[in-house]
Amino acid sequence: MSGSRFTAGVELATGIGLRVPHYNHILSEKPAVGWFEIISENYMVEGGRALAVLDQILDQYRVVQHGVGMYPGDAGGVKFEHLRRLKRLVRRTKTPWLSDHLCWGSVDGSMSHDLLPIPFTFEAARKTAENLRIIQDFLEVPLAMENVSSYGEFNGNEMTEWEFLAEVTELADVGILLDVNNIYVSSVNNGFDPLEYVNFVPPERVAQIHIAGHSRYERFVVDTHDHPVIDPVWKLYERAIERCGPVATLLEWDGRIPSFDEVWTEAKKSETWRVSALAKKEEHEAA
Amino acid sequence: MKPLEEIQREFFAALQMPLRGTSRKSTELPPCSEGHSPEFLARAEELMKPGENLSSAERLELYHRQYWFRVLDSVADDFPVLRRMAGEETFWDLLEGYLQAFPSESYTLRHLGRAMAKFVAGCEELDPTRRRWFSAVAELEYAAMETFEAAGREPLPPERIASEVLELQPHVRLIEVPVPADLCYTWKTFEPYEEEATRVAVWRGAKGAHMQRLGPVEFVLLGRLKEGRSLEELFAEPVEPEPTPEEVQQWFADWQSRGWITARGSEVIELVPQDDDWSGVDKMGSQARAMED
Repeated sequence: MSGSRFTAGVELATGIGLRVPHYNHILSEKPAVGWFEIISENYMVEGGRALAVLDQILDQYRVVQHGVGMYPGDAGGVKFEHLRRLKRLVRRTKTPWLSDHLCWGSVDGSMSHDLLPIPFTFEAARKTAENLRIIQDFLEVPLAMENVSSYGEFNGNEMTEWEFLAEVTELADVGILLDVNNIYVSSVNNGFDPLEYVNFVPPERVAQIHIAGHSRYERFVVDTHDHPVIDPVWKLYERAIERCGPVATLLEWDGRIPSFDEVWTEAKKSETWRVSALAKKEEHEAA
Repeated sequence: MKPLEEIQREFFAALQMPLRGTSRKSTELPPCSEGHSPEFLARAEELMKPGENLSSAERLELYHRQYWFRVLDSVADDFPVLRRMAGEETFWDLLEGYLQAFPSESYTLRHLGRAMAKFVAGCEELDPTRRRWFSAVAELEYAAMETFEAAGREPLPPERIASEVLELQPHVRLIEVPVPADLCYTWKTFEPYEEEATRVAVWRGAKGAHMQRLGPVEFVLLGRLKEGRSLEELFAEPVEPEPTPEEVQQWFADWQSRGWITARGSEVIELVPQDDDWSGVDKMGSQARAMED
């Protein structure tokens, strides 16, 4: 595994998202899982069941926070009340890094609860990076920004999505949570070569990788996290590991959630791909 | 290209336009034969690049439907009794109007129903009786959500009651409504019923939200506890009708057995859940909703 300043030096292998249908199994069986990822917003509360179960999980497992409501691409700037709640949770979980999405999602205080695409312009890159610097200073924990699935592109984009991701993370000096399923989904919907994307990402910034399944419709693909990972996504994962090294890998399964064992078995497949990717990496380096 | 702020404002305004076409048919909203407004189509043309498989409008529509699917699902989950009392058609009509009038202002979907009671109370499509009843039901159902995530503190042992500044547990909500809306929880359908001011406490126990009918004097005393009072101060102002010592003793015994009384500054604790009903924990996620092509 590879730790870096974007993971606070912490090295993690394979993990899965902590989801409600698995709570009882995890608390009673205590399965040997490397780490769990939680959705921060589900636990940013004053008390109650959510925190009760989180505390029990924290007693036994490493937890990494993943958010859905930071919206660093919001033109309206940073929401400090949200950050204060987030920081309280960071102190509770001791998450080594904190991830959220490279997206926007609110206007004038109204929230979309969606991960909306940012126009790939220099103005948007500057604004997003400015927000991220403020957020990282406030939270005092390394940040990793996840590329989102997208279903369309804006007219007037000034760069590709992968150039935008690199530009923003460089300007803000934050890490990347590379979601290879999202790359695949966006590549189908927006018509680009997903390998070109993976090959462009600055490998030293990648703190974590997400893998997931999606739903394919006749004319588009939707990021539903309700299927096993498909081979083209595993191949992107393999290439990402080959470039980035053995970074922490997390399987997301959020819809039609199967048994804990099924999810964990799917997540463990990443280990086979990781081994082959690292062998290729060694071969290239030797050559 | 337009400034980022303007793009986001226009995009968001498009998301909030009413659902139409096949997207609407995928929900339980009342049918509507109208297509998208010219404004929606113009915004799509202006904002979104057409792709090989999808037009600009279809691309914007994918975001539009995801927005609506998510907020509709979430708020519908939070008001099951209102849904049963209002009936399907009226309920979904209410939801559509509500979400247009009160879009989310919170980081979490759990707070999406914050103004449902207010919206229903002013909803002119309902007759005044239904406005009163449905608004009261919505208030009780939202209170259950509030108790879900409120803090819990160490309950006070009886021997310290006389010596501490007493407070009500932060997760206990005291609610006064003009009708006995708590009865609706057991009704299959709504039938107008005798109206009387009703006071209830909604609180969190080990097995989720609970509701308890309160008498008027008990309600006043608990309201004072919520502000924080010593035992002496609790009875410093008279209450009408004055309770007997036996009544007060019984109330305290009940409040304590439910864990409602805590001392000012007492330690925050987490209850250990005792069953596997985790509903409401995972309101948020990064995944899209499944949909039709």
